[in-house]
Amino acid sequence: MTVKKIAGVLAVLGAFVVPAHAQDYPTKPVTLIVPSPPGGGTDIFAREIAELVSPILGQKVIVDNRAGGGGSVGTTLITAAQPDGYTLGFVWNSPLTTTPHSLQVAYTPDSYAAVMSIGFSSYVLCAAPDFPADNAQQLVEQLKANPGKFTYGNDGVGGTMQLAAERVFAKLGVKVRPVPFGGAGETARNFLGGHVTFYGGSLPPILPHVAAGKAKCLLLTSAAKNASLPQASGLSDIGLGKEETVLWWGLIAPAKTPPAVLLKLEAAFSKAASSAKFKDVMAKQGATQRVIDSQAMGALIRAELAALGEVAKAAGIQKKAQ
Amino acid sequence: MSSFGYLLDGFAVALTARNLLLCFAGCLWGTAVGVLPGLGPLAGMALLLPLTFKLDPTGAVIMLAGIFNGAMYGGSTTSILMRIPGEAASVVTCLDGYEMAKKGRAGAALTIAALGSFVGGTFSIIGLMAIGPVLADAMLTVGPAAEFVLMLTALIVVSAVSNSPPVKTLTMIVVGLALGMVGLDPLTAWPRFTFGSLDMTDGINFVALSIGLFGVSEILLTLDEKIPVVPKAPRWRDLPPTREEFRQATPAVLRGSVIGFLFGLVPGVSHIISTFVSYAVEKKISKTPEAFGTGAVAGVAGPETANNATTGASMIPLMVLGIPAIPATAILLSALLIHGVQPGPLMMSEHPQVFWGLIASLYLGNIILVVLNLPLVSIFVTLLRTPMGILAPLVLTVCLIGVYSVKASPLDLVVVAVSGVAGYLLRKFAYDVAPLLLAFVLADRLELSFRRALTISDGDYAIFVQGPAVKVFLAILLVVGVLQAAAVWLGYRTRTS
Repeated sequence: MTVKKIAGVLAVLGAFVVPAHAQDYPTKPVTLIVPSPPGGGTDIFAREIAELVSPILGQKVIVDNRAGGGGSVGTTLITAAQPDGYTLGFVWNSPLTTTPHSLQVAYTPDSYAAVMSIGFSSYVLCAAPDFPADNAQQLVEQLKANPGKFTYGNDGVGGTMQLAAERVFAKLGVKVRPVPFGGAGETARNFLGGHVTFYGGSLPPILPHVAAGKAKCLLLTSAAKNASLPQASGLSDIGLGKEETVLWWGLIAPAKTPPAVLLKLEAAFSKAASSAKFKDVMAKQGATQRVIDSQAMGALIRAELAALGEVAKAAGIQKKAQ
Repeated sequence: MSSFGYLLDGFAVALTARNLLLCFAGCLWGTAVGVLPGLGPLAGMALLLPLTFKLDPTGAVIMLAGIFNGAMYGGSTTSILMRIPGEAASVVTCLDGYEMAKKGRAGAALTIAALGSFVGGTFSIIGLMAIGPVLADAMLTVGPAAEFVLMLTALIVVSAVSNSPPVKTLTMIVVGLALGMVGLDPLTAWPRFTFGSLDMTDGINFVALSIGLFGVSEILLTLDEKIPVVPKAPRWRDLPPTREEFRQATPAVLRGSVIGFLFGLVPGVSHIISTFVSYAVEKKISKTPEAFGTGAVAGVAGPETANNATTGASMIPLMVLGIPAIPATAILLSALLIHGVQPGPLMMSEHPQVFWGLIASLYLGNIILVVLNLPLVSIFVTLLRTPMGILAPLVLTVCLIGVYSVKASPLDLVVVAVSGVAGYLLRKFAYDVAPLLLAFVLADRLELSFRRALTISDGDYAIFVQGPAVKVFLAILLVVGVLQAAAVWLGYRTRTS
C-alpha cells in the first residue's frame, strides 16, 4: 500500500472521527421527538415549526412521535438522548410540570435544557346559560355559597387542566367536585347534556356552543382575557393573575447539549415561531403566539412545577411508582 | 335550500376529480391496512393523518373517511379468511364468516359482507340527513349513568351470542373484565397490575390480544388434526352467493341497518356493541339458531351491515355536536381541527361544503368499496389456495410484524404469544373467547362510567335509576335480563338440535 493510499484512507476515516464543531452545526438532519400521538395540537405545532425552521438551520427536521405515559415516555427519551443537538424535543408543559406529581418520572428540570417557548392556550370554565352567574365575580360568589355542590368536567385526574382549576379554587377557598373525562370533547358532551355543572377544558371545543347560546364562559385560567371569548374574565380580573396555569409548548434539548448549539437553536426556532405564518397556525388551534427565551422558559418550568406540586398535594394526588 | 339541495351540492364537491381521487386513494389504502393483520382503521388513519395537513379540510376528511370505511371492510376480509379480527367490530364476523370459509363459501361471505356494508352505509347516510340532527340532541341525555346501564345490557347480550354454557361464558366475561383493568386507573391514573413495567401502563393492546386469541389459537388448533379443516378456495362458479344465501341475508341486512344506526348515535361504545347486538338478535329470532357458529349467513350479514351503519350514524354526533362518538371519528375531528374547522351546531351553516361534501363522499366511498372489493374477492380467496404449511407461518409472521409496527412494543409480541396459547387451551376446553374480548374492550369504559356517575352524584347510587336515558336503557336491560335468565333457568338453551 502506498503512502498516498494510506493518507487517503486516514483522511476518509478522519472525516468520521473528528467531531463537528458547534459553528458547523447542524451537519445532518435533526430529530424532533414529540411525546404525543400524531394529530393533536402539540403535533401540529411541532410539524409546522419543523418545516419553518428547516430552511433557517439548513437541515431537515424530522418529527418523531413517541406517545405514552402522559408524555413522560417521549420526554424520557429526549433527556436520555445524545446531547449533540441532533435529538431535540417539542413538548407541551404537562410532562414537565404536571406528570411528575402523579407519576414517577426519570427526569427533573436538570435533565434537560429549556430552549424556547412558542406560546400558550388557556383553559376555560363555562356554565349552562341558566346558571345564576353572568360574570366571574358572581361565579365566585356562587362557588363560595355552595361548597361541594357543583361539578366540573376536566381532562383527567392530575392533568394540567384539573390542576389549573384546583389552583384557582384553592386560592378562592372553594370546593368544586372534579369529574374526569377523556378529553375536552367528552367533557363538552357531558356538559351539554347537563351531567356536570361546568365545562372545564380548552377553548376550541366549546366555542361553537357559546356562539349557539348553549354555554356561557365565565373564567379563563390565563391572567389575561382572550379575544375569542370577550365575556370570560382572566384571572387578573379577580386578582389572581399570579395563579395562571395554561397549556404551553416549547423546545427542550438534553441537558449537556453544547451552549453554542443551544444558542443557535434558540435563535432559529424563535425566528420560525415569530413568523406570521406560525401565528396563523396557532390561532387556528385557538392558541396565542407568545415567544419566550430559554431563561424565561426555564424559570417558568421551575415555578410551575413547584406551584402545581402544592396543588396536587392539596388535591390528594399521590405520586405513583411505575 | 332543503337538505336534498345541499346534498346535491355535496355531490358536486365530492365528485370533483381531485376529491374523487382522494376518496379512492383512501378506500384503497384503507382496504390494504385493513387486510394487514395488526393495522386497523385507527392506525391506518393515524398514519396518513400528517399527509392530510397539506390538503383542504374537505379533501382531508374525504380521504380519512375513505380510509376508515376501507379498513373496516378490509378487517372483515381477514376475519372471514383467517379468523383474525383487525379490530373490535370484526370480532363477530370471525364466528360465522370463518366457518363459511371452511365450507368453501368464502367468496359468498365476502360478497355478502361487501353488499351488507353498502346497504348499511347507505341506510345510515339517509338517516343522517333525515333525522340525525334531531336525534343528536336527544342523545346528549346519555350521561355516564346511562352509559353504564347500556354496557351492562351489552354484556348480558353477549351471553346470548356465545355458544358455550352460561357458566363458561360468565367466566370469560370476568376474565375479560379483569384483563381490561390492567394499566392506569382511568380516574386516578394509578398503575394497576403493571408489575412495574412502563409498557403495561398503556394496558394490554387489543389488537395483540385479539390476534392471539383468535388467529394464533386457530393456527394451533389446525396443527392438532391430522387432516385439518381449513378454508377451501372455492371454485370460480361458487364465488357469488347462492339464491338461498341471499334470501337468508336480506332480512338480516335490513335489521342490521336499523340496529347499527341506532347504536351509532349513542356515543362511547356503540361501534363495539352494535355488531354483537345484531348477531344476538339474528340468533334469537332465527328459526335455526343452532346454525350460528357453524357458518350462518345471517351471522355475517347482520353484524357487517350494523358495523357500517354505525359508522355513518357516528358522524352525527361528530358533525352536529362536534363530539367524536367513536375513536375513528376522533381522528376525523382532529383532521378538521387542524384546518380550523370546529364541528358543532354551527358547522352546517359555517362550513356547508365540508359537511355535505363529507356526507356525499361517504356515500361515494361505499360505492367505490363495492366496486373495488367485488373483483378483489376472487383475488383474496385465491390466497386460500396456498397450502396451510406455508400460509400459517406467513400469516403468523405478518401478524407479528403488524402488531409490532403499531407501537414498537416488544410487550405486544409477548401478548400475542401468550394469548395465542391461552386461546388454544380455552377453545380446547370449549370456552368461547369472543365474550372475553368484548368484555375486555368494554372493561375500562364500564368502570369509568360507573365511577364517573358516582362522582357526579357524590356517591348516591340513585343516579342509576334517574333520568330519561337511564330509564329507557334500564327497561331494555330488564327485558333482556329476564328473558336471558328465564332461558337459562328453563334449560331452554338455543341448542335444541
